[in-house]
Amino acid sequence: MEALRRYFRSPPAVLGLILLLAVLAMAASAGWLYPRDPLSLAGRPLIWPLQDARFLLGTDNSGRDIAAQIFHGARFSLLIGLVATVIAVIIGVVIGACAGYYGGWVDNILMRITEAFQTLPNFLLLLVLVAVFGSTITTVTVAIGIVSWPAPARLTRAEFLSLRNREFVQAGRVLGLRDAALIFGEILPNALPPIIVYASVVMGVSIVLEAALAFIKLSDPNIASWGNLIGLGRDVLRVQWYVSAIPGVAILITVLGVSLVGQGLNDALNPRLKAR
Amino acid sequence: MRILKLAGRRLAASIPTLFLILIGIFLLLQFAPGDTVDALIAQMGGGGDAELAKELRRFYGLDVSVAMQLVNYLWRLVRFDLGFSAIYGKPVVTVIAERLPATLLLMTSALSFAFFAGLVLGVIAARRVNQWPDTLISTLGLIFYATPSFWFGLMAIVVFSIYLQWLPAGGFEDITLVQTGLSRTIDIARHLVLPSLTLGLIFLAIYLRIMRASMLEVLNLDFVRTARAKGLDETSVVVRHVLRNALLPMVTLIGLQAGTMLGGSVVVESVFSLPGLGRLAYESVVQRDLNTLLGIVFVSALLVILINFIVDLAYARLDPRITAEG
Amino acid sequence: MNLTRRAVLMTSAAIAANVVRPELSFAQAAPRKGGVFTVHFPAEQRQLNPSLQASTGVYIVGGKIQEPLVDLDANGQPVGVLAESWEAAPDGKTITFKLRQGVTWHDGKPFTSADVAFTAMNMWKKILNYGTTLQLFLTAVDTPDANTAVFRYERPMPLNLLLRALPDLGYVSPKHLYEDKGDIRQNPLNLAPVGTGPFKFVQYERGQYIIADRNPNYWRPNAPYLDRIVWRVVTDRSAAAAQMEAGQIHYSPFSALTISDLARLGKDPRFVVSTKGNEGNARTNTIEFNFRRKELSDVRVRRAIAHALNIPFFIENFLGAFAKRGTGPIPSVSTDFYPSDNGPQYPYDKALAAKLLDEAGYKAAGGTRLSLRLLPAPWGEDISLFATFIQQSLGEVGIKVDVVRNDAGGFLKQVYDEHAFDLASGWHQYRNDPAVSTTVWYRSGQPKGAPWTNQWDWTDPVIDKIIDDAATEVDPGKRKALYGEFVRRANSELPIWTPIEQIFVTVISAKARNHSNTPRWGSSSWHDLWLAE
Repeated sequence: MEALRRYFRSPPAVLGLILLLAVLAMAASAGWLYPRDPLSLAGRPLIWPLQDARFLLGTDNSGRDIAAQIFHGARFSLLIGLVATVIAVIIGVVIGACAGYYGGWVDNILMRITEAFQTLPNFLLLLVLVAVFGSTITTVTVAIGIVSWPAPARLTRAEFLSLRNREFVQAGRVLGLRDAALIFGEILPNALPPIIVYASVVMGVSIVLEAALAFIKLSDPNIASWGNLIGLGRDVLRVQWYVSAIPGVAILITVLGVSLVGQGLNDALNPRLKAR
Repeated sequence: MRILKLAGRRLAASIPTLFLILIGIFLLLQFAPGDTVDALIAQMGGGGDAELAKELRRFYGLDVSVAMQLVNYLWRLVRFDLGFSAIYGKPVVTVIAERLPATLLLMTSALSFAFFAGLVLGVIAARRVNQWPDTLISTLGLIFYATPSFWFGLMAIVVFSIYLQWLPAGGFEDITLVQTGLSRTIDIARHLVLPSLTLGLIFLAIYLRIMRASMLEVLNLDFVRTARAKGLDETSVVVRHVLRNALLPMVTLIGLQAGTMLGGSVVVESVFSLPGLGRLAYESVVQRDLNTLLGIVFVSALLVILINFIVDLAYARLDPRITAEG
Repeated sequence: MNLTRRAVLMTSAAIAANVVRPELSFAQAAPRKGGVFTVHFPAEQRQLNPSLQASTGVYIVGGKIQEPLVDLDANGQPVGVLAESWEAAPDGKTITFKLRQGVTWHDGKPFTSADVAFTAMNMWKKILNYGTTLQLFLTAVDTPDANTAVFRYERPMPLNLLLRALPDLGYVSPKHLYEDKGDIRQNPLNLAPVGTGPFKFVQYERGQYIIADRNPNYWRPNAPYLDRIVWRVVTDRSAAAAQMEAGQIHYSPFSALTISDLARLGKDPRFVVSTKGNEGNARTNTIEFNFRRKELSDVRVRRAIAHALNIPFFIENFLGAFAKRGTGPIPSVSTDFYPSDNGPQYPYDKALAAKLLDEAGYKAAGGTRLSLRLLPAPWGEDISLFATFIQQSLGEVGIKVDVVRNDAGGFLKQVYDEHAFDLASGWHQYRNDPAVSTTVWYRSGQPKGAPWTNQWDWTDPVIDKIIDDAATEVDPGKRKALYGEFVRRANSELPIWTPIEQIFVTVISAKARNHSNTPRWGSSSWHDLWLAE
């Protein structure tokens, strides 16, 4: 389609796609390249990268292979990012759609709730949620999703507000379509593009939020997430800084890729607003 | 006076939201395992018997039912009493007042740095669009956006404090010397350089991108072409006509980012040992000091509302077509 | 204390050379008067009065401002501070302290026996953690004159137990500033302490620093040497090491830096890194078993778990030079109580572990014999490293371990109150006498929710009797023998395992003199500490 061609004409967008595919490739090949449990003891602790042929990226303070953790961590970081984003978008879309479509007191109440979530600093709410519900990968992911839904909600509401009085919607009403059918069948597909683009922002933020939680040792210690590795490396930061640096670079590349893809999608889908 | 009335109305409109937040957090934290007495015993290293624990719970007001505790809290709140901090043994208002300046200073300098640097860089990038300055700046912006702030902070300490020894490694000011006036200001400023850079980094990236996009959009509008046709040089065009309009999205963004910045300050304050609200919030969650946590939530919510209000006023100044009443 | 252990982290050279430094045993150069000593203060406490809270977090500040009746000297023997001498009646129910004369509080009022009586009856007995247990049978403190305090107990109190405990649990507060001033816990003095010590409290900026200045009226002649002490609040450990290297901090107490920073600074000639001065703060890492889990109530399973851990490997590769193999609940630094025979030690033997598990009936069907939840305490880097190591090692004998993270309050609640754990791992702090905080880990009948006590649902009448007898045995020789039996029984029944022994590590500027000269130096008053140029 036209949009796809526009996407591939932009170098940053293509770069983003390449980065993202690289990370996906890491995630996919992790089981094959590093079949052992990435959290198992592999060698002496704190071996520098490129010093030992078995451990190209070195080992961390528990003697675990960093390269294995990076590859397996790609799975977890992408998974956490994706699931948290899906949760945030679903909640946000449902709330935003209802608020935008029905208006009136429904809109009022839902916007009050949204405002409440937005006024509260999201990292604080995250801390409280993790303190209450624990630090397993499930609870952390759900907590990040819960903390991120307000922005998609606002976006959805804005889209619905502008779309709900369009002709095709009025036509649908005349045809006797029920509300649910109208919302999910007619309006939502038209409102989705900007939401999907924004989802890339949410995904980037989710990945960094998990890393921040792991940095203050509040994430799940049983999975080889990049954030956990950064948190571990904090204790040896001054000399063996590579333990924190390498997963930091991995996060950087992933978030960069996701952002560039999102930006590329945005430019491709909205050529008029593209700043060229 | 109109402004005061507007502020009052805005505040009144936010009251339901505030209550929602406070009640929500209060109830949520009830489900956390352990209470503030457990956290205190962890600090003491044990050695208390059951009597001691019971006595402490009575002391902290935890021996009544949850519903009663919530009612007590709300009743105090209505009379502007934020309660007593379990960790500090002082009124929450005092504790927050002691920590507020550091956070405000940090947020202001981080925001200023991000805003103005983002503005300047965004303008440069827009003026030289698609040439190498633009590519360089845009790339840097993306990298800053994707860098985890805490990692950047620690690396900055290693580079600037240990190896180069240009800046202090943490703290708010040098307490071994007694300083006043200008030298104290400079000392605090030196201590805030790295934290502000760290906290502001991601916002710099965002502002940069927005400013650039906004500038590019405005540069192509009719009235700019008119100004150019009138023979005005490029700089005048930019400063007098374009900037004002391009600033609008930037200003809006400040309001939206206020809450995020407060959250980001938790980690930055911990890395740089700054005595601010962010670290206080983290401590109150870990030590289950409900009064302090709710007080911080209350104050930060007020802060966000205030900032958004100021943003709306600024918005109205920048674009006379919009009035502050929205 | 580990002075000749080789450092084994990758880039190691022996740091023993740094540990035995000439300054420590130097015949004194003339002490320099003056100077500001900065201390790393990692964890702010809710209050600073050591008569109300017994923890190193309080002593690091409060111990310079207030003083106990008795402290420990360089050889670990009790030496009088606010008390000059003491004697016990033969039946052990009366202990008389003769107090030091000519001592004044920082506000100028004289220190008298009334202060001791007030503090003992209202603070040590009613509020002070560990003090409430120690002084459980204290009935009264008589004050026949201003310099004599007579402690009367209804059950015999072994004198050496009291003398060993008083350095931590015997700080005195001023009666005239606490009596009839409302709730003791809410007295604002708790955050601005008044004492008799070498330094007077000046200021506490919460979240930033505490300042104390020299006490010009201190009762020791020509003391203290320092002008001022500043405690800097730095919660991030890497940042604290950075500040030490940048010269902003002189002293980091109680292993407050990361393990790798300790090793690194140990090789830096500007610093002294050692365990000297902390022998009174020994601790053992624990593995705690929840007997409510049927599998763990079988002693063979517990022993198998012990055999599955290669402790020497762990210590050598992860903990560095300052940890050693523990032999039981009483650490080797306790010369008064360390038994010559510690009972079974469970050396690393994977085959034996597998065999014991098979015998107990947990075969490895498809790789996993059983699944356990491990809750590590959140207050130590070594604890989380140990938890990871346990997870990996037990995985190799077919036990799947899930590590569950909690913060401090949550951990205490989950383990000691709700008993929602299978394995727990933390620290057991030894406080110079087993009766203070060690036997409670084994004695049955502990109230639910009391942390660091026997919450395993394990009862052993044999060990209960040994513990009770030893607590009231007045003869030191017999007491030591009883505790020897206690250790052997503890190691054979294994309700908890204590395989690693550690002493806190001090990192201090090489310019400091007269440091680390008592077994609890970090908590002591520093009256003789001075800074060279």
